[in-house]
Amino acid sequence: MVKKFVMFVTVICVALFFAGVSHAGVVKIGAVQPLSGNLAVYGQGFKMAIDLATAEINAKGGINGKKLEIVYEDGKGTAKDSVAAVRKLIDINKVPLILGPAASTNFLAVAPICENAHVVLIGAESASPAITKAGAYVFRVFPSDKLQGKGVAELVEKLGYKKVPVLYINNDWGKGLKDVFVANFTKKGGKVLAEIPYDQGKTDYRAQLLQIKRFNPKAAVALVYVKDGAVIFKQAYELGIKTQWIAGSAAKSGKLVKLAGKAVEGLTGTYPAFSNTSPAYKAFAAAWKKKYGDKKIGIFAEYNYDMVHLVARALAKGGATPDGIRKALYKVSKGYVGVTGDKTFDSNGDVGSAYGVWSVKDGKIISKR
Amino acid sequence: MTIFFQSLLDGLIAGSIYALFAAGLTLVYGTLHFINFAHGELIMAGAFLAYLFMMPPLLLSPLLSGIFAVTGVVLLALLMDKTVFSRLRNANPLLLLIASLGLSLLLQNLAQVLWGAKIRAFPFPLQRGKVFGPVVITSVQITILWVAALTIFLLYLFLKFSRIGKAVRGVADNPVLAKTFGVESEKIIRIVWVVAAILAAVGGILVAADTNLEPHMGIVNLVRAFAAVLIGGAGNVWGALIGGFIIGLSENLGVLLLPIGYKDAIAFFIIILILLFRPEGLFGTRWGVR
Amino acid sequence: MTNYFLHILVSGEIIALFAMGLQLEIGETGLYNFGHVAFFGIGAYASSLLSLAGLPFLVSLGLALLITGGVTWLIGIPILRLRGDYFGLAMLGFGEITRKIFLNEAWLTKGPMGLPGIPRPSLFGFDIHTLPRFAVFYGILVILVYLMIRHIVRSPLGRVFTAIRDDELSASAIGKNTYGFRKVCLITGALAAGLAGALWAHYITFISPSDFTLNETILALLIIVLGGNWGITGALVSSFFVIGFQEGLRFLPFPDTFGRYIAPVQQMIFGLILVLLVLNRPGNLIKERPASASD
Repeated sequence: MVKKFVMFVTVICVALFFAGVSHAGVVKIGAVQPLSGNLAVYGQGFKMAIDLATAEINAKGGINGKKLEIVYEDGKGTAKDSVAAVRKLIDINKVPLILGPAASTNFLAVAPICENAHVVLIGAESASPAITKAGAYVFRVFPSDKLQGKGVAELVEKLGYKKVPVLYINNDWGKGLKDVFVANFTKKGGKVLAEIPYDQGKTDYRAQLLQIKRFNPKAAVALVYVKDGAVIFKQAYELGIKTQWIAGSAAKSGKLVKLAGKAVEGLTGTYPAFSNTSPAYKAFAAAWKKKYGDKKIGIFAEYNYDMVHLVARALAKGGATPDGIRKALYKVSKGYVGVTGDKTFDSNGDVGSAYGVWSVKDGKIISKR
Repeated sequence: MTIFFQSLLDGLIAGSIYALFAAGLTLVYGTLHFINFAHGELIMAGAFLAYLFMMPPLLLSPLLSGIFAVTGVVLLALLMDKTVFSRLRNANPLLLLIASLGLSLLLQNLAQVLWGAKIRAFPFPLQRGKVFGPVVITSVQITILWVAALTIFLLYLFLKFSRIGKAVRGVADNPVLAKTFGVESEKIIRIVWVVAAILAAVGGILVAADTNLEPHMGIVNLVRAFAAVLIGGAGNVWGALIGGFIIGLSENLGVLLLPIGYKDAIAFFIIILILLFRPEGLFGTRWGVR
Repeated sequence: MTNYFLHILVSGEIIALFAMGLQLEIGETGLYNFGHVAFFGIGAYASSLLSLAGLPFLVSLGLALLITGGVTWLIGIPILRLRGDYFGLAMLGFGEITRKIFLNEAWLTKGPMGLPGIPRPSLFGFDIHTLPRFAVFYGILVILVYLMIRHIVRSPLGRVFTAIRDDELSASAIGKNTYGFRKVCLITGALAAGLAGALWAHYITFISPSDFTLNETILALLIIVLGGNWGITGALVSSFFVIGFQEGLRFLPFPDTFGRYIAPVQQMIFGLILVLLVLNRPGNLIKERPASASD
């Protein structure tokens, strides 16, 4: 036993030694991604998109001739591990900028640390409205839920439904979106029949669905993720709930259709829209295919891709210091149209977005801008 | 009113499965006097092994997959007993509890390494449920009900009429008394493991068919099973079966009264209430109180 | 570089407080508290909410400890009537229900959104905002709590605890009110956990219900099982060892595709260690009663 521990400590020390070695001619930035844990499925996709953009930047001469290098740390999809990962990146790798962790809870947990350390934090997936006020060094290329919640309310109204129950995932994303939706929908004169939270990762949601069935509603809003959504829509189908389901952006995935089949036929929802016919998108899709073959473009890959390109421009213009990057980000983003559209930061480091409508028809996802 | 009858039916279906978990757990608890945390992983293993046999490349029929899965879980239970629990026969129950907690942690994470954390479903075709008056029931659920009923019936026959079954029940109910009658305890313990593993595996397969499966499904079902065991009184098989139904029904009917976010806490509430007010169980004797 | 090690040190200090509380309960008195994390959570939420409401750090910390102690006193009335594994199970239930309350009572706790922007500690105008200051301040608290618990363990009170652990029946037979003593023990342990929770909240500056799961209790259990025969000192040392082990995994050059296996593999190792320790070193955990034929 003791021998093994000694060996283990030795291995760690050796690894530590190499971790500290840095190379000249390289610009290093950090990235905290959920490489393990329950968000790992998404984390791999984010990483692929970040790697793709990094490779492109380096192929075109890097940052003023220096190579861009991403130091990945595993946030494990939890707040405390994200905090540990960010501390390591700031203190050991001394990066001026960190590509922040997915899920708003984790992002919000690390934001004050970056803010205090004066290190730029930028995110590509976090939608919580609270991030808007998270600090001067905090940016995101993903639109706030404030916009999406409004979008869902508008869609429900446009489809002509006056009374709907809301089923939502009981986490930061679901609850944040639900609150904005309820506020906007009631302001328009609509009535929210019930607000029904559910816990992520359970296998049985029939008790929640029964609460919806009770109202026999013409339409119901379901702010769900892909995996939970598949379980929920299948069980709703089995229970014979016939209603127009209206979802948010997180459920928009071919995987949902694959998992839930005919149970999601007719499902509709909103999503932060960007054109997939624009030249920027086509170039991105082609580059993805070239690098990864037939592997499907992961969820939010486009945002991660845009984020890295924006960051590279800011690094080139403002230099590899946090304050330089921070100031440069505002300048380079002005009028920058990436794969996901206009990425001009407002004074809070937020971006705007257009919202589109998606729906499932004949087992395929149809997106309309 | 619709929601009441539907909740009642869902409660019965869930309860019939929890009854299987609880009957096995109470036999182990009655015989070996410790709370086997790894019982949840026997449940999980049953579901995942059946899934393994049903999916490509094997593509066996549900019945055959089920039989293989149950066999696999029985072997797993005997292996756990041989490597860990048999070496702690006369140890403090808390030591056994912690060992089983370690085993539980080991096995559920092993499943996560092998299968990933995502939620999976058996490859049954998606169907609308059949409507009977106010309630909706799927054909899978009908199958679940009769498989559970059959299993409980067979368990009843075994414990009530076979000589060995009577001995098992005797040991679980009152080990001291059984000892004085010279029941061979090691043999009984092995049989208890086999019976408990069969019940856990069948229940695990049924719960996965009714809902879905994921590597950490064991713990939440273990909590429900344990609540049922306490209702029945430790070591009391019939009590545990009834306890299972009580838990299933109170979870599904309870959400009509409580905020829905507390559904998974209902079993815990019941555990605490029972422990405080009737630690010998609703049907139990004073035995089992320590 | 140093700051990162300081971060691990501070994490270790917080976990050490948490684990020492559990050591007092389990190791010294035999109270198998599988819901220890509840006290950690109550301390964290109470102190955070109070200081977010504008109270100074020391006041909210003091009130948070008062609340943790009060809640423990209350739930102790019914739950301490239970023994052994029944007590453990009831506490496990209490821990899970507490987390559900954090999650569902959003009017108070903001539910799953968590509480961001918790103020950093400040002592009479002296701000604790940098890692070295955290490490020193928390370190002092760890030493104080360590000395306090060690004092308790070595005092006549501690000998009563040991007597309760080893044979409660005899302890009560010689005229000791075991209920009262067990309650004192539970509250002391809970206060250590509550302190740890509050310090954690003011350090990380963000808490959410997902920080307070059974996994944290299992981690502390592992720490005290590893600490073995060295009592409270063992718990203190092995806290830093386990946290170091967890963080050390970051530096191993795993291939990217292995990433998703790291967390479950680590949990598997923890599970295996628990099993192996119980099998090979049962004395680490439970001093066998000389004659334990009763049950």
